[in-house]
Amino acid sequence: MRKILTVGLFTFRELVRSKMLFVWLISVVVLCGLAFLLSLLSYGDILKIFMDLGLVGMEVSGLLVLLLSLAVTYNTEMDQKAIFLQMAKPLTKEEYLLGRVLGFFAMNALVVLGMGAVVVGLVVLVGGGVVPVLFYDCVVFLLLEMLVLSFLGLTFQMIGTTMVGVVLYSFFTILLGHCVGEIEWLLSKQLAPAARFLLQVVYYCLPNLEIFNLKDRVYDPTLVLHWAQWQDVLLYAFAYSFVVFLIGWISLEKREFK
Amino acid sequence: MNSLGFSDRSAKWLPALIVAGFISQALLSSRLSQWVHPEPFDAQGPKVDTKVTSILRAVGFLSGYKVLVGHAFWIKVIQYYADADNSPDRYSRLYDYCSLASDLNPQFIPVYTFGAAALAFHLKRIEQAEHLLQKGILSNPNETRLKLMYAAIAYQNTEKFQQVIPFLEEQILRGDAPDMLVNILANTYQKVGRYQDAIHLWRKILKDSDSDLERVEAAQKLQKLYAIVKNENSDSHR
Repeated sequence: MRKILTVGLFTFRELVRSKMLFVWLISVVVLCGLAFLLSLLSYGDILKIFMDLGLVGMEVSGLLVLLLSLAVTYNTEMDQKAIFLQMAKPLTKEEYLLGRVLGFFAMNALVVLGMGAVVVGLVVLVGGGVVPVLFYDCVVFLLLEMLVLSFLGLTFQMIGTTMVGVVLYSFFTILLGHCVGEIEWLLSKQLAPAARFLLQVVYYCLPNLEIFNLKDRVYDPTLVLHWAQWQDVLLYAFAYSFVVFLIGWISLEKREFK
Repeated sequence: MNSLGFSDRSAKWLPALIVAGFISQALLSSRLSQWVHPEPFDAQGPKVDTKVTSILRAVGFLSGYKVLVGHAFWIKVIQYYADADNSPDRYSRLYDYCSLASDLNPQFIPVYTFGAAALAFHLKRIEQAEHLLQKGILSNPNETRLKLMYAAIAYQNTEKFQQVIPFLEEQILRGDAPDMLVNILANTYQKVGRYQDAIHLWRKILKDSDSDLERVEAAQKLQKLYAIVKNENSDSHR
């Protein structure tokens, strides 16, 4: 455990040194500014609009940091062979991979929570509004999404052979992960067997990111969120992360470092 | 150790673990979808107006940023309504635009109130305004503003009193109806000839209202209603 934490801390420091926190600062200025501008241009409940757009900003900044971190660390670890230094230490490959995920997740969590603090601060202190009850659940769901995507991104890093490939795999998986609901809808229609099979494979392999998408339903009065739902969401997040981690671990073991 | 670097023991349980984990996540994914998408896409009825097709709708539903696309599109709707160049055709696409904005962002109340007010009071397209408000009420069952607007539009549209009464009664029975809604229902009863129900409601307003103006209005209404009932009774005796 200590070794995992050490790798995690090292990864986190590496990402901080790579100026990833600037992404957070830029996101705060650009996304909050955009949200403010849109809420002024629009007609209706300004604080509600700002809150909705702020939640989008939190997710976008987290995803941006994740993709950039993947690109930056692929360059240093794989291309510049920095991974050799880690592998030379008394450290198993699963400990290395788990530590990397932990570092990535810590950086993502910092950015998402930092952005959330800015949004809440502006809504409550400047706008004099109230934070909706589901906001906090939404933030936890976002963090769970970031955890799953950190596992997924690092697994792609272990599988991928180029930086561009890793970023593209991750980007399209994130994009398609949000289409799972619509894929399910398509599966309920009359389809050719081959198309149905293909969709079923995609449906079961993709991460169901819509499960974590509470930001579109923060003001939904019909949404029920009890312990049973929490249990299912947590189980899903850990089950998916576990499978992805095992695949990443096998890929790392198979990888030949020359 | 085998060729992958795993111990022989790990190599045995690793595939089984991957399969077990995969099956459990697949099962959970299907189970959770029922919660995330509680109703099948087709069964959402008036909530999602499939007549209104748009690339934006597809982008919103597929990208996972439905609300963001909804807010951006809402600005376009406002610009459309504010542009005088669209007035020659009486803003013919306003309902379609409002409907799409509400599909993308069903919990954003101004889409319904603004859209319905423009359609009903300005453009006199009452049916479209009512349809938009019905969508809003189905998506936001606790939102009083929408019911109030619905009642106001129906009240304005004098031929449809019978349809608005059950809506108003349901709202008032819930106990959280604003006084204005009770007034509208009382007036509606009077319009359709249900004088006893109207008298009952005005008496309630006279008794419960905190506003002097409302009590005066209630007293005046009651005087008129008593006179009407008295005339009707005397006519029937003759």
